[in-house]
Amino acid sequence: MKLHCQSFQQNVSRRAFLKLGGAGLFGLTFAEVLCAQANGRQPRARQAIFIFLAGGPPQQDMFDMKPDQPLEVRGPFRPIRSNVPGLDICEHLPRLSRCAHQYTVLRSVTSRGYPLAGDHHAGLAWKTGNPRALRGTPKYPMYGSVVAKLRSGPSDMPNFVAMGDVASMAQGLRENYLGPAYDPLYVEMGSRDPRQVDPLTQIIVPQGIAPAEFSRNAELVRSLDQQSRQLDAAGPVISGMDQFQQQAFDILRSPRLREALALDREPRQIRDRYLVEMQGYGRLNYTSRVLAARRLIEAGVPYVYVDFPYWDWHGGVAENNSAGMASLAGLDAALSALLEDLHVRGLLDTTLVMALGEMGRTPRMNRNGPAARDHWGACQFAIMAGGGVRAGQVVGATDAQAAYVRDAEYKVASLGKTMYHLLGIDPDTELHTTDNRPLKLITEDVPLIREVL
Amino acid sequence: MTRLSIVFLTLVGFGFIAPQALAVEPAVPAGPLFSRHVVPIFSKLGCNAGACHGAVQGQNGFRLSLFGMEPVLDHVRLLRDSGGRRINTIDPDASLLLLKASGQSTHRGGMRTTPGSADYRILRDWLGQGAKLDAVEKSLINRLRVSPQEKLGKAGETYPLKVEATFADGTVEDVTALCTFESNNKDVADVDRMGQVRLTGVGDAPIVVRYRSQPALATVLVPGKPLDKFPALVEKNFIDKHIFAKLRKLNIEPSDECDDATFLRRVSLDVTGALPTPDEVRKFLADPDPARRAIKIDQLLEQPGYTAVWATKFADLLKARISYEDFTHQPAQASIRQFYDWTRARLKDNTPYDEMVARMVLATSLDGRSREEWIDEVIESYSDTFSDKIGKSRYVDRKTLDLFWHRFDSVGVKGAVQFAHSFLGLRLQCAQCHRHPSDVWTQDDVLSLSNFFMRTKANTGVMSVKEAGQIKKTLGTGLTATEKNKLTEAAKKFADGGKKLHDQAKAKKGNKADADRLQAEATALAQRAGAITRAIKILEVSYVGHVKGNAFGWASVTSPLGTQNSETFRLLGERDNAKIADEQDPRDLLVKWMRSSDNPFFARAIVNRVWAHYFGRGIVDPPDDLSPLNPPTHPELLQELEDSFVKQQYDLKWLHRTIMNSATYQRSSRTRPTNQFDSRNFASFHPRRMPAEILVDALGQATGVPEVFKAGGAPVAKAIEIPGTIADRMVGNPSVELAFTIFGRPTRNAEALCDCDRENRPALVQSLYLANHPDLLKKISSPKGRLTELLKSQSDDARRIDDLYLWTLSRLPTDAERQICVEHVRKNASVIRGFEGLLWSLLNTREFILNH
Repeated sequence: MKLHCQSFQQNVSRRAFLKLGGAGLFGLTFAEVLCAQANGRQPRARQAIFIFLAGGPPQQDMFDMKPDQPLEVRGPFRPIRSNVPGLDICEHLPRLSRCAHQYTVLRSVTSRGYPLAGDHHAGLAWKTGNPRALRGTPKYPMYGSVVAKLRSGPSDMPNFVAMGDVASMAQGLRENYLGPAYDPLYVEMGSRDPRQVDPLTQIIVPQGIAPAEFSRNAELVRSLDQQSRQLDAAGPVISGMDQFQQQAFDILRSPRLREALALDREPRQIRDRYLVEMQGYGRLNYTSRVLAARRLIEAGVPYVYVDFPYWDWHGGVAENNSAGMASLAGLDAALSALLEDLHVRGLLDTTLVMALGEMGRTPRMNRNGPAARDHWGACQFAIMAGGGVRAGQVVGATDAQAAYVRDAEYKVASLGKTMYHLLGIDPDTELHTTDNRPLKLITEDVPLIREVL
Repeated sequence: MTRLSIVFLTLVGFGFIAPQALAVEPAVPAGPLFSRHVVPIFSKLGCNAGACHGAVQGQNGFRLSLFGMEPVLDHVRLLRDSGGRRINTIDPDASLLLLKASGQSTHRGGMRTTPGSADYRILRDWLGQGAKLDAVEKSLINRLRVSPQEKLGKAGETYPLKVEATFADGTVEDVTALCTFESNNKDVADVDRMGQVRLTGVGDAPIVVRYRSQPALATVLVPGKPLDKFPALVEKNFIDKHIFAKLRKLNIEPSDECDDATFLRRVSLDVTGALPTPDEVRKFLADPDPARRAIKIDQLLEQPGYTAVWATKFADLLKARISYEDFTHQPAQASIRQFYDWTRARLKDNTPYDEMVARMVLATSLDGRSREEWIDEVIESYSDTFSDKIGKSRYVDRKTLDLFWHRFDSVGVKGAVQFAHSFLGLRLQCAQCHRHPSDVWTQDDVLSLSNFFMRTKANTGVMSVKEAGQIKKTLGTGLTATEKNKLTEAAKKFADGGKKLHDQAKAKKGNKADADRLQAEATALAQRAGAITRAIKILEVSYVGHVKGNAFGWASVTSPLGTQNSETFRLLGERDNAKIADEQDPRDLLVKWMRSSDNPFFARAIVNRVWAHYFGRGIVDPPDDLSPLNPPTHPELLQELEDSFVKQQYDLKWLHRTIMNSATYQRSSRTRPTNQFDSRNFASFHPRRMPAEILVDALGQATGVPEVFKAGGAPVAKAIEIPGTIADRMVGNPSVELAFTIFGRPTRNAEALCDCDRENRPALVQSLYLANHPDLLKKISSPKGRLTELLKSQSDDARRIDDLYLWTLSRLPTDAERQICVEHVRKNASVIRGFEGLLWSLLNTREFILNH
């Protein structure tokens, strides 16, 4: 099947294309969609949210606490019981401690052995599931781009939305072998500097034009296109353009995307659960991205990426108003609210949620103040929830200082493979690089994380 | 000579098939042999593909050599690995190998064969006879023959391919059942696993056959139904002769000639990267001269747009992206501009293509002058960085382009691979580590070519201060003390001058204008001083020249498949190694070979690429894959283009003119029933989306609000004139950077050697950009824009509509279109809104964004 798919994909012909009438999205995609879904299994996860904890969230200070160790190892925080027996988590994550049955903590997923393990650019691996380096490796695409290529949501919604910059801390990530067609649509929400509005955000919201007038203009495009009939009978290029234009017009005409992003429509008591006020920091704007992600999922977007920043723990972080404390409080509020809301709406079972960072933190604190730790590539945690994940458990174990994995070590690729598997996408699906080299979605031969299935 | 015999001779010529005279007809061995029969089945079933057990780490603990290139190793792994549990010679059917392959035991790769099938039987028989390894040398392939090699068929027909292999021991065997087959044009022919070809449509198709890692080629041609009357065709030059001949053979009618307005738009976009202005359109449409099209082509080739389009093309192709690790990026930006301007100057002079390339490949920093003169040049060019003379530096007057050797990976194996891609149209990336299944180059070919790139001192892009120091230590090509002093003094002179002016500025307290002017001059001088100081650092690493002997060692590649090196010089396709003395610069021989009249790639690659520029596909396509297994659609045409181009002294403008003056280029994009499915025979013009830069310029021209570009310190007028990439901070305009990104301007990433680096596929964000980007919407309604001006100067709606059509679609509207537009304007609350909607709609039509 695979060989057949590959040759089919490479040779989608002009004739076949015209006969199919450009079914699916356009030419190439159609064949690959067939290939990717050929395994016929009914997946539970249909959509996904990927929360990237930019920087290194400290495993010993959050989900893999070592209270018996000396202070310089265990850090200043104390563990509290969660509602899952055996899982104690940081005292500053109280809400997450009450909904631990809704997620699973992976303590043993590492980027050890990857080109940039322990480096900020390790995001290249965490966001693609492949051993991507800054140079010298294929430009593997992000998970969301792959899903956008192989899945489509409602016609008036984009397939992949990102909030914050996907390439933050992962230089060059926007360049990938799938090309710009599967790049995310960017939605600026909760940026550090509200004056810096990404033009890509404005691109999805009609500017100063009433819906009726927009429709009239769009109609004019149609009639003018019909006049120049000589461009009708062409192949994938024009047909693809037409379909994307149709989708673009639908997005612009439809209130759905705009409404999904209009957070003020959310009842106040629900919205406020996602938001956090920190003394000295004011409101943490970026936590609202998680709320927006939930609303986008409800509106049918297949893949949402959330940049959830500032896990910069080199300096002292345990004072009340430090950035580190803010990150903890923000994640506690937003992630717990997200899981509950998805559950209440019946969406948790079909929505895979993942949260992870670029690296772990050193077993010992540095001298910069309480809980200050530097980069550590050998060990970190990841959270998985929803989408058919077996929740309420801890997978893997680390040594006494949460420095190295002692049990059930899984590489980044295993996590990626498991994610595709849960989404019903065959991780062995082959896509072709710009120089026409066939590459599987997950190139390494790694096991699935069976424990979560 | 037919194209097939050319292919075959080429294959023979490359030396991996060595035909032997057959003395006696030896007997074909009885039972299945591992290397001859079993390994090919692994290839046929896909077991040893890179994505399965052929992967470096194998798959689920079972590893085979990629594409079965190492049968001995495969045998060992199959028998010994996992304690030999994969085979069972007593009860072959119970072998894990067969259970897995036939899906009787869980196999992630699925069911590849069925019990009782021919493949299965061969595997079983081999197992039953003891699973032995045969004498591998005896089964090396001397020759692979497919019949029929060339076939004329008709749609609906089926016929079998037969493949015969001649082995080293002299035996000849029918290996059809052991081959894989692939049709390269499924519009015309399908081929099944057994080599049965089914003809499905009109046209021609190459069929690639592989036995083990050895490929061979067959072709088939399927004419359409005979036409009552083939349209009378007028050949404008030899191109049409070849194109028409094949169309006649296929009974495919070409489309009509395109109209004048379409021609003008097409040729303007293709040559100068710009839409024609309404005046140009009107004038051209009114021109009664029958030679007006040829005249227009000549005129356009003299415009600056032509050099901008092709300098961009060469910068893309050569991955011109330069960056030093000095964190300021200033000198790097200047050097990208110098690279671009140098190329552009050669194009303007219409320097013969072979000479232009020679002046890149043979470049040295000294350029035949003394070191002193070179350093003077560097000082001048670095001083230019911040002056308004930028772009006019003396660098463009250099004979050679030493910046060619400042590109990423310009030397060594990667340098050779880049060179082959840029100038020979070959893809050698895969062959660095393993022979590609559908190409002819071996790893040794690539490494032996790479040795020509091992003796040039270059600055290959990002070099840390440490690396630079290391090179300096090894080679002693750093600056002498005298040279350093000279530079330091130059910097000091500027710094002092700056300081003096600064003091003077301070003194002019009363006169702010004077003080500001002096201060600006002072700053400029200080910046020059800074630039030269940086230059001192950079000069140490930037020197390009030949290094005697093999100070940099021999070409070597280490990949997960192992390490291999070559200690010989050999040019591609040559049988013999070249002898190169230590003091000789191997680049001389390389260039001599490239320019020799019988070089099979050099001229062919450029004529094919130029062709692809005008037609959206090459005569060999993709245009950077001149493999014998990827045959041209029109071999005689390609040959004649190539020969004539060489005869014309590699005159690029001759090539452009010849192609554009052909009737074939001037076809309409409106298809006919007989040619609507054709994609390979140039029967109609296939519309293409405007490239990113050209679209940005077209939007600026259509709306009357052009963009402003910083382009790394110096302004340029058009997007197509921007020398560098976004990553090199050469654009300096966020909305254009966005357009470049989503409409696919190449990132010039040295890792992705592919002409497809320029993205031309459609995307959702592209449609959203055109429909709703705030900057574009602002242009439409700008008080300084085209529309505002038009509404003021012109009061008649119909004429306003005519003008908007001319500015966007480069033609006048039909009566029906005019009517639709008039009605649209009336439907709107205000005339302004109505026309804004109209201009917006025109920019969102297919016709606008397509070159059709």
